[in-house]
Amino acid sequence: MTNYIKYTPEVANDWKQTTANVKKDYPHLFRRMLDCSTSSQLQCKLWMLKELQPFVETNMQYALLAGWYANYSVELLITEFDAKFVHNYEFDENAKDISYIFNKRHKDSEKYKCDVKDIMWDKLDEEQTYDVIINTSCEHMYPMSRFYTLNNFNNFPLYVLQSTDDEQWDDHINCVSGPKELAEQSQISDIRYSGTIKLDNGMNRFMVIGYPTGKKI
Amino acid sequence: MIENTIICVSWGDKYDREYVKKLKEQCEAHCSVPFNFYCITDKPKLGSKHDITMPLYWDKHFLSEKNFFWAYRKYYAFSIDKSRSHKVKFSTKNLSRDCLDRIQGERFLLLDLDVMIHQDLKYFFELPMDKPWIVKGWWNDMDNCRKNYAKLKSTPLNSSVVRWDRGQLSKVWDEIYENIDMIMFTYPSADNYFVHRWYDLWNEKESFFNVFPAGDIYSYYKGNIFPQDMTKEVFRNDHKICLFNTSGHTEGESDDKLHKIYT
Repeated sequence: MTNYIKYTPEVANDWKQTTANVKKDYPHLFRRMLDCSTSSQLQCKLWMLKELQPFVETNMQYALLAGWYANYSVELLITEFDAKFVHNYEFDENAKDISYIFNKRHKDSEKYKCDVKDIMWDKLDEEQTYDVIINTSCEHMYPMSRFYTLNNFNNFPLYVLQSTDDEQWDDHINCVSGPKELAEQSQISDIRYSGTIKLDNGMNRFMVIGYPTGKKI
Repeated sequence: MIENTIICVSWGDKYDREYVKKLKEQCEAHCSVPFNFYCITDKPKLGSKHDITMPLYWDKHFLSEKNFFWAYRKYYAFSIDKSRSHKVKFSTKNLSRDCLDRIQGERFLLLDLDVMIHQDLKYFFELPMDKPWIVKGWWNDMDNCRKNYAKLKSTPLNSSVVRWDRGQLSKVWDEIYENIDMIMFTYPSADNYFVHRWYDLWNEKESFFNVFPAGDIYSYYKGNIFPQDMTKEVFRNDHKICLFNTSGHTEGESDDKLHKIYT
């Protein structure tokens, strides 16, 4: 089980550069950059990796929905699962820019790409296929049922979804009571994993891995 | 036929009939071109020429526990469309659109009830109309708006004043109509929805809406232009319109200060 992130010289170089660039070019986003680098953020992503491991192989293609700066997810998927490609969909133009600085090494090797798209309004790239679709931000958006109506994947990807019951934040517009409700509202009927953890920041985090109704071979 | 049309929308008890009367009086005092005046209202007066009965078709989608997109009734006005053929008329969607068929004119100006008009509204009817127009809150720090974009707050747009030509906002109404459940669930305010769907915070020229230039419209409570002219609670008579918008006053809340100024 992976319970750490490999802080290699390449990672160190990109992440140091991110700090420098955000401070210089996006000073108003410096706090947001720190927010994406907390221990709780890393806990969520390591947990995802641990529970997803039984279902994946090397050389798979991943879609990250609303992946934000994607600093931890991309690094972990590429180095631990030997992902062929990770495609982040973000509606925030600056998130794309900053994710490219965090992940420069992977962008340069064409293993990472970010497109500006609101996944509750627009289809994913139809030229691209994905083996796994990850959304660790379900509390920030309308239920995933809408996403299925927009996208019809012929290869039936596996879904990894996370959410919370922490309603104290204004942008948590879709909190759920637990993994059962997350699965129900996301129409995940073939559940391969379902669980809860408590993060260092006190937040309950729920995760469901599986296939939506009618979206499985 | 008079082509210029001013529309306001009134519902509930926050702003009573006095506000509609005062707005109409202000328009009459500050508009040197002929205009129609209509109020889309949930309490139409029998025999009133300018009262238009407010449709109800979005009410059932409103999530009162969230109170998101609470001013949705204002956007019924966007359904004012070009005339359609009889062939397509009898769908629920077209019947919804037909609710406001009595409204005449080609050039529309939507005004909130809590505005103060300082200068001739003719200006708005003579704008180039390659795109519809909406208020940009020049009093906002745009970096702050970009920072909070994903958090669905600090919106730089304000729909207290909107200018469009007949049919020009059909696309917006269509999208709201087709996605009302999702929109009411997701966006705290309509202005927030407009920023995400009809405006480009990073490339304003690509936006669906034009924004009124700096110096046209200011906020009584928030200021004028960030950062150089942010004095609050002063009137700027050389500007065209003053807004009394505050993020703290949502549906059902009242503004005592505005009430004193207005009545």
